[in-house]
Amino acid sequence: MSTLNVDKVDPSTGTALEIGTSGDTITVPSGATFVVAGTTEITGTNNVQRPNAQPFIINGDMVVAQRSTSVTGKTSSGFFTCDRLQFVANDAGTWTIIQETQTTGDAYDNGLKEAYRMDCTTADASVAADSILGLKYKMEGFNVQEFKKGTSNAETYTLSFWVKSNVTGTGQVNMRDETNNRMCSATYTTDVTNTWEKKVLNFAADTSGASACTNAEALAIEWMVAAGTDYSSGTAPTAWETIANTDRAAAVTLALSGSTDNDFAITGIQLEVGTYTSTTIPPFQHESYGNNLQRCLRYFEMMADGRQDSDAIIALGFVYQTNVISLAYQWHPKRATPSIDQSSGTDYFRYARDGGTEDFDSIKIYIPNANTGLIYSDDAFTGADDENGWVQINNAAAYVALSAEL
Amino acid sequence: MIDTVTKYYLNGQHAGYIVTHKDSNRTLSVPVAEDNTDYQEILKWVEEGNTIEEAD
Repeated sequence: MSTLNVDKVDPSTGTALEIGTSGDTITVPSGATFVVAGTTEITGTNNVQRPNAQPFIINGDMVVAQRSTSVTGKTSSGFFTCDRLQFVANDAGTWTIIQETQTTGDAYDNGLKEAYRMDCTTADASVAADSILGLKYKMEGFNVQEFKKGTSNAETYTLSFWVKSNVTGTGQVNMRDETNNRMCSATYTTDVTNTWEKKVLNFAADTSGASACTNAEALAIEWMVAAGTDYSSGTAPTAWETIANTDRAAAVTLALSGSTDNDFAITGIQLEVGTYTSTTIPPFQHESYGNNLQRCLRYFEMMADGRQDSDAIIALGFVYQTNVISLAYQWHPKRATPSIDQSSGTDYFRYARDGGTEDFDSIKIYIPNANTGLIYSDDAFTGADDENGWVQINNAAAYVALSAEL
Repeated sequence: MIDTVTKYYLNGQHAGYIVTHKDSNRTLSVPVAEDNTDYQEILKWVEEGNTIEEAD
């Protein structure tokens, strides 16, 4: 091996310098310093600005679905299947929403085995002015400070995702600053029916409007796939502006609510700091299921689900007063003070104690904070004080959860 | 979409709200907490002219 001792290597012609050939290994020895000066960019599939950080998007691969894997008859907004992704709808047909397991296709071949899918079951071909249909991902302020929004060093955004629909057309994605009521948009097209396509969208930096560094919603990503004139009569903004509802779906031609044949699926959602193209975007960063679930639990925690285990134990229980039973349940720390989210029905829950069982309908929460609180029921218990036991699911349709969603 | 909102009490103290929904049997027990988005939804629902019911 020979050693070349020079202070600078320049291309002999033009501006391109090549080192080695495909298959070679170029080594920077241990202890050496590799400097990338100023704004110089390194392009390539391993150009990750945050190599040791968790992905911004939680559950971007749609693997965690604590609430359900399939729901039907949805006509209004809510969180239904895959964690963290909100269905947004008003007067835009009726939808079945599923966590769809993939078996083939380019998304599957890129390690994305689950997707969020919505299927139209009742069409609304003539949408009203206030109709809207889409998906939304919300981020709290604590988790978006790396974009340095509202400063002179504000970063650009790159959003990547896989999409599949039976409809070809244009969809619009809005980056929303919920702290300062601002938005910026980008568009994409579904080019081939029923085929996974990877989209990479760029959003401008915004030197106005700093994101509040709190647990409140600060940044949101909004996929619009159908809308009436209240949301579509403006112009999709490619520069940041004050949110105008008329601009939110101005570029949309998908009109997904128009037929019961229509469906829309998405997975592999990835948000990066900086500007990337389809060739330079880093690979999707898969997390372990355990890490993924842990991050989801900050927002939603299924305590017990009768749809998976019809007599699942929820917690130890004890009678606090003659008619109040308390549940000894320690939850995962939440983003904010949680609600109890449950299905309601007669005798959906059971208290099993030494003296027998008592069935009841609902569970409540009392003086909670993000980390702890009293979970109880006061559905007319007759057990004696201090009689211990456990509380369990008593109906296959029953569930109880803690929700601190944005 | 919210259908009804009813106050609930424990030990005589207003502990929160029971929220039912129009298109499902989903029920929420919502604490009186400003950082809770379900509570924020209740306040918005009231602003739209709806009324919270007292406990039975």
